[in-house]
Amino acid sequence: MTSSADSSFGWRAVRRYFKRELLPVLADLRLAIALLLAIAVFSISGTVIEQGESLEFYQANYPEDPALFGFLSWRVVLALGLDHVYRTWWFLALLILFGASLTTCTCTRQITALRWFSRTWNFYTQPRQFNKLALSAELDTGTLETLTPALTQRGYKIFTRDRALYAQKGIVGRIGPIVVHASMLLILLGAIWGAMTGFFAQEIIPSGRIFQIRNIFDAGPWAEAQIPKDWAVRVNRFWIDYTAEGTIDQFYSDLSVLDWDGNEVKRKTIHVNEPLRYKGVTLYQADWGIAAIRVRLNDSPLIEIPMSKLDAEGGGRIWGAWLPTKPDLSDGVSVVATDLQGTLLVYDNGGKLVGTVRQGRSTEINGVTLSVVELVGSTGLQIKADPGVPIVYAGFGLLMVGVLMSYVSHSQVWALEDNGRLFVGGRTNRAQVAFERELLGLIAAIAPGDEATTSEPAEPVPASTS
Amino acid sequence: MDLVTLQGWLDNLSFAVLFLTMLVYWAGVAFRQTTVLPALGTGGMAIANLTIAALLVARWIEGGYFPLSNLYESLFFVAWGLTAVHLVAERMSCSPLVGAATSPLAMGITAFAALSLPDTMQVSEPLVPALKSNWLMMHVSVMLISYAALMVGSLLAIAFLVVTRGQVVELRGSSVGTGGFRDGKLRRAEAVAPTLATATAEVGDGGTAVLQAIAADAQTPTKLSPQRLTLADTLDNISYRIIGLGFPLLTIGIISGAVWANEAWGSYWSWDPKETWALITWLVFAAYLHARITKGWQGRRPALLAASGFIVVWVCYLGVNILGKGLHSYGWFF
Repeated sequence: MTSSADSSFGWRAVRRYFKRELLPVLADLRLAIALLLAIAVFSISGTVIEQGESLEFYQANYPEDPALFGFLSWRVVLALGLDHVYRTWWFLALLILFGASLTTCTCTRQITALRWFSRTWNFYTQPRQFNKLALSAELDTGTLETLTPALTQRGYKIFTRDRALYAQKGIVGRIGPIVVHASMLLILLGAIWGAMTGFFAQEIIPSGRIFQIRNIFDAGPWAEAQIPKDWAVRVNRFWIDYTAEGTIDQFYSDLSVLDWDGNEVKRKTIHVNEPLRYKGVTLYQADWGIAAIRVRLNDSPLIEIPMSKLDAEGGGRIWGAWLPTKPDLSDGVSVVATDLQGTLLVYDNGGKLVGTVRQGRSTEINGVTLSVVELVGSTGLQIKADPGVPIVYAGFGLLMVGVLMSYVSHSQVWALEDNGRLFVGGRTNRAQVAFERELLGLIAAIAPGDEATTSEPAEPVPASTS
Repeated sequence: MDLVTLQGWLDNLSFAVLFLTMLVYWAGVAFRQTTVLPALGTGGMAIANLTIAALLVARWIEGGYFPLSNLYESLFFVAWGLTAVHLVAERMSCSPLVGAATSPLAMGITAFAALSLPDTMQVSEPLVPALKSNWLMMHVSVMLISYAALMVGSLLAIAFLVVTRGQVVELRGSSVGTGGFRDGKLRRAEAVAPTLATATAEVGDGGTAVLQAIAADAQTPTKLSPQRLTLADTLDNISYRIIGLGFPLLTIGIISGAVWANEAWGSYWSWDPKETWALITWLVFAAYLHARITKGWQGRRPALLAASGFIVVWVCYLGVNILGKGLHSYGWFF
């Protein structure tokens, strides 16, 4: 009995704390601004400090003595997670806090503010009510009837009651910020969903080979269902188009999706900017390499010899293989290629360049005829599944609509006929300058030559220096 | 005359026109009474805008693709955007001060692109495989126009700070609409007592400044007439509107980049330095827009944030490329 009373009391205390203490703090605009700027500042650190490098890299570039700015040694970099800023717990915590602030602001401030503008009985019935508007005037001529067409012409929606008028336009400008906030929450949700259920893989596959997706290097905790098990992909051909100057024009991979029985169910030639999609998994052209060469020695059958990537000084890309030229393997040559254009460099065992040979040609080495039949390229594929993408894209679409809506200024005009005089006033929330011109034009249209519209603008410097 | 000679001629012309325009605008600020100088300045900006447009079109015909592939082309595109946004801002505000702030920047950019960049970096070159996509036109052009708009908005915020130096200012114009209420000094005396209550009830957030002003003193003008915006109000509001224009463009630019990256490489966000800086720019200007509706943050503080946004935009536009990392390092310095 007492324990349940206690727990309900505890629960009430938590709820009261949440409502009275936590919500007002989360809904505070200053917190939102601080969070926006904090995320900006911490993001900068990740663009200045190299991300995802090896321990040796940080030890070499951020020595302990002398430390950068007196404190930024590699120990500090690693301890704070500055080598992977965007995945640290504190950066993610900041994003979650931001999401919480966004949700609270949307619910407590924006939606309640909207209720006020949805009412249409927003009339001013006393002349003194016009005094508080900066843009208001008392006119000796003019009636509500002369005002109405001028307002309609400027796109206002008009409401009248007795001798009072209320007109407004641009209410979408009030809804826009809500759409922006809601869409950002949608994007955050989609990103989280994608991180939990998606995966990333990379495969380097020679032309002609069939593969299943195995080399997964990043997968969310619920990604298992996404990883394809009942289909495979065949690389029919990989090639590179070169421009006349010899630079790379485009990489192409001709891919076939095969079902469990080996039947082709989809075929597409992909290139950079044009991936293949199948059952929520997308294969992107990302990298390339040379897998093997096919050669004949004298009259031998076709021999395929794998080529391996060599460490090149200066970061160039070189592949090489060793070919025996004697049956007992006591002598041979090294062949080296830098691209798929077909030229091979041939080196002897002493490392001396002895000649070049093109694809489809042959050359005489150590008394043996070496014919290069074909260079086999391999395609580097980036493979990805992200079930969060539809949610994120929906958020993107809404966000674009929302920010455009938020540009619109919500303008309101009030008018009242009182003892033969017409009171007109109005205000807008964003475009003060344009609205001033519009309202003065409106007054000029119904009361030509009235002194209110011909008066000069105020002094260039504001008078409110108190 | 072939296209390359025409381009060399047009880029120098655009610089010369912008240089003269800048002098005209500054002279216009020094001698306020003349009306011919601001009109001349507007004409100069319009001519510069058309000259740069002609230069870019000539490039497009010569290269066969939308001319946004290297630093030279992108600088001229930004300069074009600046002159275009300038014309919009000037039309909104009817103030020659806008030109005094924007013309030096447009002039500086064309001077750098036409005179300082080595000739090897000025020539049109074929696109690398990753850029061969229709997204290039969409993404890069929207981004660059948003940079131009945000730069003009920031420059106007700087002009606002210069004009109001040493003063306390009440801001007008924000999404909740705290502006639009009458400055108390000019109210009718009879109205003071009752409106005190209504003002508090209706204004909410930004009402404090209005209430303080009421207490100051009250005159009795014979008839209610509109209270006009001051020069500072105008500059501040135009700065806010132009940033308000640049912000959706930046949003659309970032989103189009994210969608392109997802279609081409399989990830809509990879924390590449350039995209991170675009996000930082977005966050700084989002903070600015929110600062304007914050109680107790009225006055010059949001303008300071917008002015600092000028530096952030430049780091995002060029600074990141000096780091020379990531997907966006084509055809630039390194």
